[in-house]
Amino acid sequence: MNAAWLPLATLATSILAAVVIFLLPEESRRLRTGINLAAAVSKIILVALMVGRVSQGYQDTFSFQIVGGIDFVLRADALGVMFAGLSSLLWLCTTIYAIGYLEGAANRKRFFGFFSLCVASTLGIALAGNLFTFLIFYEMLTLSTYPLVVHAGTAKALAAGRVYLRYTLTGGVVLLLGTVMLYSLTGDHSFASERGLAPYLNDHRGLLTLIFVLLVGGLAVKAAMVPLHGWLPRAMVAPAPVSALLHAVAVVKAGAFGIMRIIYDLYGIELSVELGVTTALAIAASITIIYGSLRAIAQHELKPRLAFSTISQVSYVVLGVSLFGPFGTIGALVHLLHQGLMKVTLFFCAGNYAEELGIHRIDEMDGAGKRMPLTSIAFTVGALGMIGLPPVAGFITKWYLGIGAIQADMYWVVVVLVASSTLNALYFLPIVHRLWFRQGPAHGFGEWPKEQRLGRLETHGWLLWPAVFTAMVSIGAGLLAGLPFSPLDWATRVAIGEYLP
Amino acid sequence: MMTLLLLAALLWPLCAAGNVVWQAYQTPSARRNYFPLVWLTASWPALLLAYGGEAHWSIAAWMLGGEWGLNAISRPWLAFTALLWSVAAVHGRGYFVAEQAKAQAGDQNAERRLLRLALFWPLTFVGNVLLIIAQDIASFYLGFALMTFAAYALVVHSGSQQARLGARAYLILAVIGEGLILGGLLWAAGTAETFMLEGVREGIAAADHGAMMALLLWLGFGVKAGVIGLHVWLPLAHPVAPAPASAVLSGAMIKAGLLGWLYVLPLGAEELSPGLTLLGNVMLIAGIAAAFGAALLGVWQRHPKAVLAYSSISQMGMLTAMVATGLAAPAVWPLLLPGVILFAAHHALAKGALFMGTTISDHMPRWPKPLLFALIALPGVSLTGALAAGMISKWGVKHALYEMDHTYLIMLLTWAAIGTAALVSVCVWRQWQQRQQGGSNAFQWGAWLVALIAALITPLWLPLPEGSIVPPPLTEWLGIVWPFPVGVLLFVSVAYWLRKVGGKAPPAGDLWWLYSPLAAHGVKLAQAIGTRCKAVKGACVSVALAVEQHSMGQLTRLLSSEAWMRHHGSGLMMAFAVVVALLLIWEGMR
Repeated sequence: MNAAWLPLATLATSILAAVVIFLLPEESRRLRTGINLAAAVSKIILVALMVGRVSQGYQDTFSFQIVGGIDFVLRADALGVMFAGLSSLLWLCTTIYAIGYLEGAANRKRFFGFFSLCVASTLGIALAGNLFTFLIFYEMLTLSTYPLVVHAGTAKALAAGRVYLRYTLTGGVVLLLGTVMLYSLTGDHSFASERGLAPYLNDHRGLLTLIFVLLVGGLAVKAAMVPLHGWLPRAMVAPAPVSALLHAVAVVKAGAFGIMRIIYDLYGIELSVELGVTTALAIAASITIIYGSLRAIAQHELKPRLAFSTISQVSYVVLGVSLFGPFGTIGALVHLLHQGLMKVTLFFCAGNYAEELGIHRIDEMDGAGKRMPLTSIAFTVGALGMIGLPPVAGFITKWYLGIGAIQADMYWVVVVLVASSTLNALYFLPIVHRLWFRQGPAHGFGEWPKEQRLGRLETHGWLLWPAVFTAMVSIGAGLLAGLPFSPLDWATRVAIGEYLP
Repeated sequence: MMTLLLLAALLWPLCAAGNVVWQAYQTPSARRNYFPLVWLTASWPALLLAYGGEAHWSIAAWMLGGEWGLNAISRPWLAFTALLWSVAAVHGRGYFVAEQAKAQAGDQNAERRLLRLALFWPLTFVGNVLLIIAQDIASFYLGFALMTFAAYALVVHSGSQQARLGARAYLILAVIGEGLILGGLLWAAGTAETFMLEGVREGIAAADHGAMMALLLWLGFGVKAGVIGLHVWLPLAHPVAPAPASAVLSGAMIKAGLLGWLYVLPLGAEELSPGLTLLGNVMLIAGIAAAFGAALLGVWQRHPKAVLAYSSISQMGMLTAMVATGLAAPAVWPLLLPGVILFAAHHALAKGALFMGTTISDHMPRWPKPLLFALIALPGVSLTGALAAGMISKWGVKHALYEMDHTYLIMLLTWAAIGTAALVSVCVWRQWQQRQQGGSNAFQWGAWLVALIAALITPLWLPLPEGSIVPPPLTEWLGIVWPFPVGVLLFVSVAYWLRKVGGKAPPAGDLWWLYSPLAAHGVKLAQAIGTRCKAVKGACVSVALAVEQHSMGQLTRLLSSEAWMRHHGSGLMMAFAVVVALLLIWEGMR
């Protein structure tokens, strides 16, 4: 039994929401909020349905032919549903947050319209069943995030948007080139095919390697791997919910997820190892991890520091992908989810500090724990998770990646992991220290840069609760990792069921 | 029943922490009591748990699969740890009376400090309990990390310059230690494919690179246990922390490092690789070096708590040497283990009592001074092995070593006891010099007396397996006792001689003052490299931009030439047609 409507309906909810939001007038705030929330909740329900279907062993597929030999395919497989689950859960949180964040701001219609489109493209990327469909949604994501990045409309924002487009469109062209070459070599090639590209290995070894480099090179732009990361720190001018979404699910994750699809579903992990590309990828990821952490230490503002931290953390996923073996694979899959949860928490908190107290620089954060305790606890949880300390989810990832590295006989990866943990501690612990152990305006020393009293609690409730919720989920995902349907459990299921020989 | 006790042991301290936060919002600061009954009793369920007998729990949903248990090692360990925490909490209530009065009078700083301490104290304790009962890696690491990082708040309590330095040294070394532990655990667990501490132990014994894994873990836990070279945080952090915090820091928390060794190193395993034996010998030398070196440095300290910190390093050095025999001479280990546990338990309570004693001499009750100072010195005398539990614990170690003929080690340990005696004498002497009358509190001296008595009768209450405690025969008595009078005599003569000569004492934290300029230079170097790299990158970007601009200029010129062609399209076409026609004619004429 094939429920073809299910992936289509899931995708349609956000596209429909986008269309309706664009049609509504700017002033109808309540209706827009209602539609946003209804779409987000119904999408979570639909994704939950898909999770149920996948765990029963079905793969619901929707497809039609566009031209001869090229199909448009949406398929709900375990890996795709995992990413879809992450994006729909975080979309709900981010939508709630964005509603609170943009209270009274201009151009909200444009914002939420493109916001919905952006999520629709992320979902399309998650459910794409072949490279062609993937590419369509990948480009759609690029275009729908641009208006979000330049939302503020300042000269700085426009410049950042220009850089963003330069990087991502160039990456898209390279990806397109790789796709065309692959299609000309093999014809349409579904992600679900069992064979992989192994039959072409003997005759086209060089060509396969070239295509791999083109595909992964194109995707690495969005995954912000060094030296293709330049757009990410600049894109920090975007409003906080956009940064949160950009960093946690949409853009960087789309790149990392694409690399996963290429290696696991298109090439097959054994073929990739055979070609020797995984080692190169592991080295590139390690360089990114260390470089990102080092640059993060040098930042004096909160959001850029978090941005460089993202650069470093997303490459954990790529690193895990390139480790051949069960633990590395599980680590990569689960970090896709864990990093999303933790990073979104951090960005929510950064946004809260900026909105409520006007804090942008790290040295302005002294004693903020007293003024905004819940936000600061959430931030601390996220920071400890990034360092990889238990019980936060980051520890689980780090553990699996480390074990995976040992089993793949890549001992130097453990050194990279430990060094990265230490560097993470080096740039997150001082912030935590400032929050809780230093005295600042809350203790009567100086003043906050721009204090507003947005709500009855420490800040506006719409801003506060998403951060608290994602922080709690981050702890829960680490502390109760052994429960069924926890991120770790699902990642194990995906890895054992599909990708391991 | 045991499960209920376990839940209470872990949740009751969390309730105490929660209560602190609740009170902070509910009770006005003028009436707030920071150390209510729930806070004082935070560690009591854990103490009861230790006496409930052996038990085992597995919780599949917990992290990577939780396995907790109380066995021959963790039961006595939990007993002395929880007892020390309980006593120190009661002591703390008395110790902080003045500060609490200040806070109630409206001093915001005092209020903030007390709130922080009251909150992090039970959290640190939960970490300590969890790491003791954990048999799986994730729970152990969680407990260890929680204890380590929460204890920062205890060290930094007073917020003074000195306290911040001590706390910073503590934190930096803790992060380094965590990194080493993580690396070692990952390596060992990855090779053995296990989530359990026991698997790590077996994996290290069997693996090719077992010695390297063991080295990483030894150093990682060694940060806590004060292995020589990594010990620098102890003399910096202990004097600045409040006395009850110093007591648990030196009594319970540095023992967590020792427990880490017992849990992960393949001590007493048969057929160890030569690398592991070599590591055992290195550990032995490091331990002996710490035992003597710390005594030599410690006697110069002015602050009694700094002296005690060096004494802790020295004692942990002895324990390191004993643990090392588990690798260097595995056959002796089964006999030695109960002695090591007894030694650790006795040291925990005795050191706790000594640290609490430093506040007794600061706030002397109206007791006869000779009696008071005799009591203050008593746990120290016991530490040297001259009486009571100290004597029994020394013998517990010695007789195991005698059985296997390790006479050199026995001799070295005995000589190290001279250092202990000298350190204790210096500490009591410093306390005598700095004594102050007044401000004593019943909680304060009551808890101190309990700790003192508990230290002296350690073998009676420690839940060790039957028959593992051996009282020393009378003939051996002299061999155990003699270091104490010798140490005191040595101290007296050296002190007399120094009075005449004078000299400059080495600063507390010795090697820290070597490390920190080195690290500062390293950071400066990295910054210089960073600036250089930035310049190079800037140059690259500007070159690339120039190239881009140039090529764009070329392109634009090309485009303009295209416009010119369009403009003169008809003429060019005609010229083209003429050329083609001429070519055709030429072709036809051939």
